[in-house]
Amino acid sequence: MAEMTSATSVQRPVTTMQSKKRSEMLAGYGFVAPAALIFLVFLVIPILFSAYISLTNWNGITPLTSEQPYEYVGFDNYAQLLFREGTRQTDFFKSLKNTVYYVLGVVPTQTILALLLAVVVNQRWLKAKGFFRTAFYFPSITSSVVISLIFMWMFTRGGLVNRAVGALFPDYAFINWLDDPTGVVHSILGLFGVNLRNAGDWATAQFAGMRVWEWISGPSVTMLTIMILNTWTTIGTMMVIYLAALQNIPTHVYEAAYVDGANAWQTFRKITVPLLRPTTFFVVTLGLIGTFQVFDQIFVISSGGPAKTTLTIAYLVYSNGFKNSAMGLAAATAILLFIIIFAFSILQRRIVSERADV
Amino acid sequence: MGKSRFLMVALAIIMLLALSGVVAAQDDVTIRLAGWSSSEAEDNALRAAVDQFMEANPGINVEIIFSPDHPTTMQTAFASGDYPEVFYIDSSKLPDWVAAGVVAEAGDNIVDQDDIYPSLQEVFTIDGTFYCPPKDFSTMTLQYNIDMFDAAGVDYPTADWTWDDLRTAAEALTGTNDAGDPVLGLVTPAELPRWLPFLYQAGGAIFDADGNVTMDSPEAQEAIDFYAGLVNDGFAGAPSAVDSGWGGEAFGNGRVAMAMEGNWVINALNEQWPDINWGVAPLPQGPAGQATMAFTVCYGVAADNAHPDESWALVNFLTGPEGALMVAETSFGVMPARASAADAWIERFGEDMSAFVEGADYAHPWVLPVGFQDFIDAFNDSLQQAFTGQLLPEDVLTTSADVANEILAR
Repeated sequence: MAEMTSATSVQRPVTTMQSKKRSEMLAGYGFVAPAALIFLVFLVIPILFSAYISLTNWNGITPLTSEQPYEYVGFDNYAQLLFREGTRQTDFFKSLKNTVYYVLGVVPTQTILALLLAVVVNQRWLKAKGFFRTAFYFPSITSSVVISLIFMWMFTRGGLVNRAVGALFPDYAFINWLDDPTGVVHSILGLFGVNLRNAGDWATAQFAGMRVWEWISGPSVTMLTIMILNTWTTIGTMMVIYLAALQNIPTHVYEAAYVDGANAWQTFRKITVPLLRPTTFFVVTLGLIGTFQVFDQIFVISSGGPAKTTLTIAYLVYSNGFKNSAMGLAAATAILLFIIIFAFSILQRRIVSERADV
Repeated sequence: MGKSRFLMVALAIIMLLALSGVVAAQDDVTIRLAGWSSSEAEDNALRAAVDQFMEANPGINVEIIFSPDHPTTMQTAFASGDYPEVFYIDSSKLPDWVAAGVVAEAGDNIVDQDDIYPSLQEVFTIDGTFYCPPKDFSTMTLQYNIDMFDAAGVDYPTADWTWDDLRTAAEALTGTNDAGDPVLGLVTPAELPRWLPFLYQAGGAIFDADGNVTMDSPEAQEAIDFYAGLVNDGFAGAPSAVDSGWGGEAFGNGRVAMAMEGNWVINALNEQWPDINWGVAPLPQGPAGQATMAFTVCYGVAADNAHPDESWALVNFLTGPEGALMVAETSFGVMPARASAADAWIERFGEDMSAFVEGADYAHPWVLPVGFQDFIDAFNDSLQQAFTGQLLPEDVLTTSADVANEILAR
């Protein structure tokens, strides 16, 4: 754009340097204005408003036009969520625990799988590339609600998944995927005979409204199902981003590697992965933000159940605001979610840039 | 030239606006009626009733607004300060909305209020103030699969069935079907309103007369032991245990012999599972006699309302004695809220369904104080864990009683 404007100004040599700069500036703001306005009205103002609401006890119903729709309560909502013992604290930390397990499960899996898929569909020897690219990308452009419903049919107790596994292994006891609050780590510990009763005193110690034993539960079976669903749907988008980056890697780098006698694995490990680092940063950031905000699949499939093991922070925001009529609390929860995502993004940026320096 | 042209256009626009303002002032009063769409046929019935009202009351325009997630839509409308004049209120939402000051008191605006079932009036009465006349209602009854009872040689449920009878029958009806899938005697969702009838049948309650939480009473213990015991002994289970999303689906698919659903199950079974051969009985009697739950929705009138008289006229038209008859005639299961229209409903649906209507005499309202969603969640979650054996039945009571006390202390 800068080139274009300077090109036009060359044709009009009358304009002085200063007025040229000013008109460029005006044009710039002019082009940015519509987007900035939308950004302001639909993002900045609501964010500031919810930050303010989080300091009140507004129930979300009383008209804001009425005389005194809410009282100012300072940081009471935050105190309830973080420090004061009770259901609200327990629910918040439960949702934090569930969300973190969800993020830790989904983000690495989807990033690695997306990279592998991108490398595969980028191979020259692959026939019907278009077909594979479309097939892998398809879940990403399908409505998440529709996919959630299909997964619900597949994963019901008598659904496709259980029947298929049952046909392969006749001894398999059907898992109630969508209604099983057992934590995966608990199940694994159970295989070694470890349970709450014999694990030792550390397991029953309380921390932030929950026993340590509950903290280490891992995602529940139902959460695991939703994690599989979400990984599958987002791989496509991530794959396309990787694919674009792969095609940007100049062929001469690969040729050089070939001349130096690098094999396929070495080329991938020493050339492709390092050159894709900026893309990986982007993909992981997108993944982090997306997974921390997971809502729609939970809303459709489990509504936070069974036994609150799929209660995520975003779902807690919704249920506090609309089911519990505590909009101030919901706003505080949302602000905390914002801080968490922000902190994780910064942290991850640090880690990636540090490694880039090496 | 350019300037005067602009002025002329501006003048024309201003005149047009002014004119339309005059027209609007002479025009009818518009009442917005907000609710949710239940089925196309029922929506058409409501539209027809509203058309009749508009015909009888020239000068009043009614605009029907359906939204799929009515409570959420209404909440945002309330918050904005500009909300519909008349709207559905689900009984469970009434305390919140009344506390927010958006619902007008009924006062003496209701036509022939005594005709409305007392148990339903109680639902929409908060601190002695009656707010809104019920649109219609449902009660929970026991549905049973006649073929499965015949095959197992078990007598059909009757009005004098006790908890023991229910348990014995559920045990006898539990087994596997031809495809080898498990079949349960009874479907028991892990939800508070499904368990509450048992609490009331045992003589317990969530609160005593002074508003103290009595979830840890011996009666509550008896009720939870019975309900969770059915599941722990394998005669009953949540819908998901038999591959279903809700009790009606489990019942319709023949995976349970008995279900405890409300009137909504009638249309669902007739439409989606027409082949199933089923009957209806009242819920069994507990140690303290009969009890069931009433689920109901009312027509609320906006507190901040420019046309209260017209709004009440519409509400009375829809819920008055004639409106109740109209509900009975066009209903797809739900019952009119007036005793005078009960016979019309039974005539339409058959004598077999009378258990639903009789439930109105001993039904308890499904309504809890403001902020009790946490209590419902705590109860449901711990009951779910009691079903899988991770918690004991008494843990459900202590957990939910703690949460209830915490909410009251807020």
